[in-house]
Amino acid sequence: MKRKLGLLLVITMVITMLNGCGSNTNTNANTDADASNKKEESKSNELTVWCWDKNFNIYAMNEAAKIYQKDHPDFKLNVVETAWDDVQTKLTTAVTSGQTDTLPDILLMQDNALAKNITNYPDTFVDLTNSGIDFSQFAQYKTALSTVNNKIYGVPFDSGTAVTALRTDILEKAGYTINDFKDITWSRFIEIGKDVLKKTGMPLLSSQAGSPDLVMMMLQSAGVWAFKDGKLSITDNPVLQKAVDTYVELVKSGVLIEVNNWDQYIATFNTGKVAGAMTGCWILASVQASDEQKGKWAVTNIPKLDGIDNATNYSSVGGSSWLVLSNSKNKDLAVDFLSKTFAGSTDLYNTILKTSSAIATWGPASTATNYGIAHEYFGGQKIFEDIIEYGKKVPKVSYGVYNYEARDAIGTAITKIISGTDKDSALKEAESTVKFQMGQ
Amino acid sequence: MIKKRISMIVEYFVLILSSAIALFPIFWTFTSATNKSIDVLAGRVLPGAKLFENLHNLLKAANVGQAMLNSSKYSILTTLGSVLICSIAGYAFEVYYTRAKNMLFNVLLLSMMIPFAATMIPLYTLFGKLDLLNTTLGFALPSLSTALLIFLFRQCAQSFPKSIIESARIDGASEIRIFFEFFMPINRHTFAAGITVAFMNNWNNYLWPLIIMQTPTSRTMPQLIANLTSGYVTDYGMLMLAVSISILPTLVVFLILQKNFIEGITGAVR
Repeated sequence: MKRKLGLLLVITMVITMLNGCGSNTNTNANTDADASNKKEESKSNELTVWCWDKNFNIYAMNEAAKIYQKDHPDFKLNVVETAWDDVQTKLTTAVTSGQTDTLPDILLMQDNALAKNITNYPDTFVDLTNSGIDFSQFAQYKTALSTVNNKIYGVPFDSGTAVTALRTDILEKAGYTINDFKDITWSRFIEIGKDVLKKTGMPLLSSQAGSPDLVMMMLQSAGVWAFKDGKLSITDNPVLQKAVDTYVELVKSGVLIEVNNWDQYIATFNTGKVAGAMTGCWILASVQASDEQKGKWAVTNIPKLDGIDNATNYSSVGGSSWLVLSNSKNKDLAVDFLSKTFAGSTDLYNTILKTSSAIATWGPASTATNYGIAHEYFGGQKIFEDIIEYGKKVPKVSYGVYNYEARDAIGTAITKIISGTDKDSALKEAESTVKFQMGQ
Repeated sequence: MIKKRISMIVEYFVLILSSAIALFPIFWTFTSATNKSIDVLAGRVLPGAKLFENLHNLLKAANVGQAMLNSSKYSILTTLGSVLICSIAGYAFEVYYTRAKNMLFNVLLLSMMIPFAATMIPLYTLFGKLDLLNTTLGFALPSLSTALLIFLFRQCAQSFPKSIIESARIDGASEIRIFFEFFMPINRHTFAAGITVAFMNNWNNYLWPLIIMQTPTSRTMPQLIANLTSGYVTDYGMLMLAVSISILPTLVVFLILQKNFIEGITGAVR
């Protein structure tokens, strides 16, 4: 009897399961059919967007929708929260398999990945060059990143302008102020850093071991990248050599400590293990996590490389841009939406700056009232005004298709050099690794 | 006597130490869920008083209920389906004779060496053509037959006394009845192990659900957690709470089937 009951139970389970799959399939199919019908019906007024970060990008997109809705009351925006890595995976899968109808109308892309995706899938994105958007109003280094074959594909969004953020209370203990770090060279930075370390026991900076961010930031500050005229330039790149030397010196002098991962990196300045952070200005949101450190921070530009022509105190790390997808049934609407908001609304940037500290790369935004606000966390400094000014001076570079590969290889080379490998052989190995990946 | 006692103390010490090492990450995850983000970053191990604040933030930031429901639905369906299909396949591989079965089995084992990323795009193209994108069937199909489970059940069928099958056949039992009434109850430990492994794999499955389920309402817990870490600022207390909630179902399944799981994996035959 028990066995029969058991058998009955298993059979019921299987039938329920198969039935469940079937009915769910039908339900989902119906839902999808409904959704696609809806899409057809509302195709003139609804846009779907993929982006990440609820408090930053998604918030900005929703605020943009509110502004656009003032003149277009029927407009609807459907933001699908999708982590950046997932955006890349879904995009690659959809394009490679030819199922592009699953893609949204607009997606957000990391600046580091722009050239690669646009070059690899040129027909997937809408050429915005003659779309009516005035790209001359954006920071030129940003538009350069989404320009491929003289065509502009991305509407620049958040700024990755590099900043040096430092704890003024620690500097004060060592007899320095934030002005001592303004417009200086790396050798001076290391000199002060050693002194601060000696007097307070605190390193100035931290970095993730194996991360090439700081070195790449130094490269861009001199208007140079790991590619020159589309060709890989590692071993024959004097600026890269200098940047690597500078980074190694930072580590060996103790002015910079390396940690294992991103979480530990954030923890170093949040918990007072280091006196500062140097990367894209988006880091300022993380800097503000500790209530105890309120009013004890200040921001300035980054040091410039010694003895390098065209070296500046300005650079960029990270940031992202909006792209319109060619498969979109609402291409014109998507372009119009972006041109009236992210490329045309001072109000938008004024609103999102206040709540999310999203700093614009669109020039006219700097006239917005909130950009002149004295920031309490940064001791009353008008940091947004300063960062906008830095952003105007960031040298233009082209990241190239194999940017990630080059960054990874350079990161590995730095780790090896710090562990004792000869610099020339480590960089030579990095170059041959990237060349192999480029199929050369 | 003293020697025996010392050896017991050493034995217990080693066992307690290794258990503590194994359990510490889970303990830390749970305690971190009760702490502020900055305390988690500072490495605080002790429980804090921020559980409800983290819960409030988590519920505000993400639709945890729906993600849990989705993950549960997909995992239960796929686990039941895969255990049933793979157990029948494993049983058939052992009990029925065909000339090519060993070759076929080797091919099946070889498929374990192909990473999912390599087959993902062809699968996605195929499912797109079959109109299975955004469907539960599309979600479950690739996981319904796994080489690992078939291998597990074939090993189990190998130690299953053939005399039972033969006696049942003489008594007139059908092949389906032999499987469900004899093989399945006698090998319940292996089934428990299979369910535990399959449930854990399906619950943690990330890549396939990500690309096959396109709508936000079909988001699973691993995807929800990925989104919580994608911003410029991560709330680690809230993140650890989401992770704690996410591991609970797997923990419950394992605890319920724990005894059977161990016996199933070690190949105990009763």
